[in-house]
Amino acid sequence: MSTQAARVKERHTVHPLIKKTRDYFWGILFLLPALIVFCLFLWTPIAKGVMYSFMHVDFIKGNEFIGLSNYREVLANSALGISIWNTIYYMLLCVLFGFWVPSIVSIAISELRRFQGAMRLIVYLPHIVPAVVLYGMWQWLYDPLGPANQIASWFGNHQFMWLTDKSIAMISIVIAETWQAFGGATLIYLAGIVGISKDLYEAAEIDGAGVLQRIRHITIPGIRHLYVLMFILQLISTSQGFMTHMALTGGGPNNATLTYMYQIINEAFTNLNFGRASAMGVLMFLVLTSLSIVLYHFQGRSKEA
Amino acid sequence: MSNRERSIMSSFDFKKGSVQIGYSIMLLALLVLAVTMLYPFATTIFSSFKTNQEIFSFPPTLFPHQFQWSNYAEGFKYVDFIRPLWNTLILFGGNAVISLMIVSLAAFSLSQMKLPFRKGVTLFFMSTLMIPSATYMIPSFLNLQSLGLIDSYWAFWLPAGASAFNIMLLRSFFDGINKELFEAGRLDGASEIRCFYRLAVPMSIPVFSTLLIFSFTSTWNDWYWPSLVLTSPEKYPLASVVYRNIIQSFNLTWNVKFSVLTAIMVPPLLFFLFFQKNIMHGLNLSGVKG
Repeated sequence: MSTQAARVKERHTVHPLIKKTRDYFWGILFLLPALIVFCLFLWTPIAKGVMYSFMHVDFIKGNEFIGLSNYREVLANSALGISIWNTIYYMLLCVLFGFWVPSIVSIAISELRRFQGAMRLIVYLPHIVPAVVLYGMWQWLYDPLGPANQIASWFGNHQFMWLTDKSIAMISIVIAETWQAFGGATLIYLAGIVGISKDLYEAAEIDGAGVLQRIRHITIPGIRHLYVLMFILQLISTSQGFMTHMALTGGGPNNATLTYMYQIINEAFTNLNFGRASAMGVLMFLVLTSLSIVLYHFQGRSKEA
Repeated sequence: MSNRERSIMSSFDFKKGSVQIGYSIMLLALLVLAVTMLYPFATTIFSSFKTNQEIFSFPPTLFPHQFQWSNYAEGFKYVDFIRPLWNTLILFGGNAVISLMIVSLAAFSLSQMKLPFRKGVTLFFMSTLMIPSATYMIPSFLNLQSLGLIDSYWAFWLPAGASAFNIMLLRSFFDGINKELFEAGRLDGASEIRCFYRLAVPMSIPVFSTLLIFSFTSTWNDWYWPSLVLTSPEKYPLASVVYRNIIQSFNLTWNVKFSVLTAIMVPPLLFFLFFQKNIMHGLNLSGVKG
């Protein structure tokens, strides 16, 4: 006890500035590696990206400031409209297929009396498949002589060119991605549904609410915060999708699956125009940020209501 | 029935005809879903044993007539398995050690230690989550180039620590530990480092294992960034090698392709089935905290 009292007394006598540095020393030391790494590998590239967007990047002759002309070239590029439209189309399809399915499936799974664990496992299983295996699998499933067309032949004689037909290539990609990704979202919704108090259902049932009414008025409002979260997460991730497109269709046929992010990659590593690629990245940032500010406002308003 | 917890429907509901019909339709839909989920696995695994004629045979078969193991021997001619596997493990090891160290120290500091400008520092980390990777992907490549890290594994190990999401996850875990535990430790004369690795680290083993699992899956899956940053193909991890030699190749027969795909699909599947509990726990964690 006496040593503790002595220590307290000692603390009161040292100069406040020394005391402060001593108090903060370890906290800052622990934080230092993270601060350095974040500066070096995230903030520097972000800052450089903005800088490069106003420059002509040349490894040999050195970078040269060229003002807004990168932006002008990007906006004048005729492929830009195509890639923006493709990205929006891709995002819409992902929402159409991938946003409602998980929540409905999770409600259905939560109602299972038996095999619930097995069903969770099955739904999540595709999530574990490495991306390259996913590409290989779906290359085969979409093969003109492959299973997708065999299934289509049960319903009539129509055969599809899943990956080489301009009008359905994007849909094929979204189906493949949804197959893989929706299990993760399903489990997150399930965690939310399990957390809803059973008393609410009990009370609603006594008051005479049917099953569908209970789902509509208790389950769905109970996981509404997850809907908003998943929606935002999905928008962020799909707006930057390009890898499946690259692997399955290579952006074709005739640019039908060329997304915005894919165009950035092409600009950088095919045309070697890093300045223009950076400018496209900055434009993307501006659009996404303003979009999320708008969404955030909507969310805030709906909470007040 | 009476002693189980109810869900949306009670056992009373099941007596109604309309509910029974709806429930059976739902069961049927889930069954179809389960088949669609499992079918691609089944074709990939079973086709890896078929002859190429059998893959295209009509009507299609699911089980191979006879097991042709030579597909695997053939496949490994295109993907020399050992070296890329070793590369992947080295990448994973470095990622795991460095990122866990950096992230857990920072999270502990933010959660349990005296800090100036705590809000500002938190913002410094978290605002990176708001910036789309499209914005810094290309400059990041140029940045690694100017740091001289191209074709080096350090280009993966060090940035692995710059993960705001992991800091957030661990911080919220540390926040849940009672502050008085560390106060008591400090009063008993434990240094901050001792508090960290004798108290905080042993308590957070479950979260660490979750982060390790995430890190394993992302290292195992990532094919694009390694193929960009590593210039010498003998340093490629497995996923990049498979993408280059299998996915992009047009003259391989399907049964050989499937043999390689099966071979690289099985380890993560086993890993998952083995660590299933931790993974589900981690998903709940990230889902709740968002």
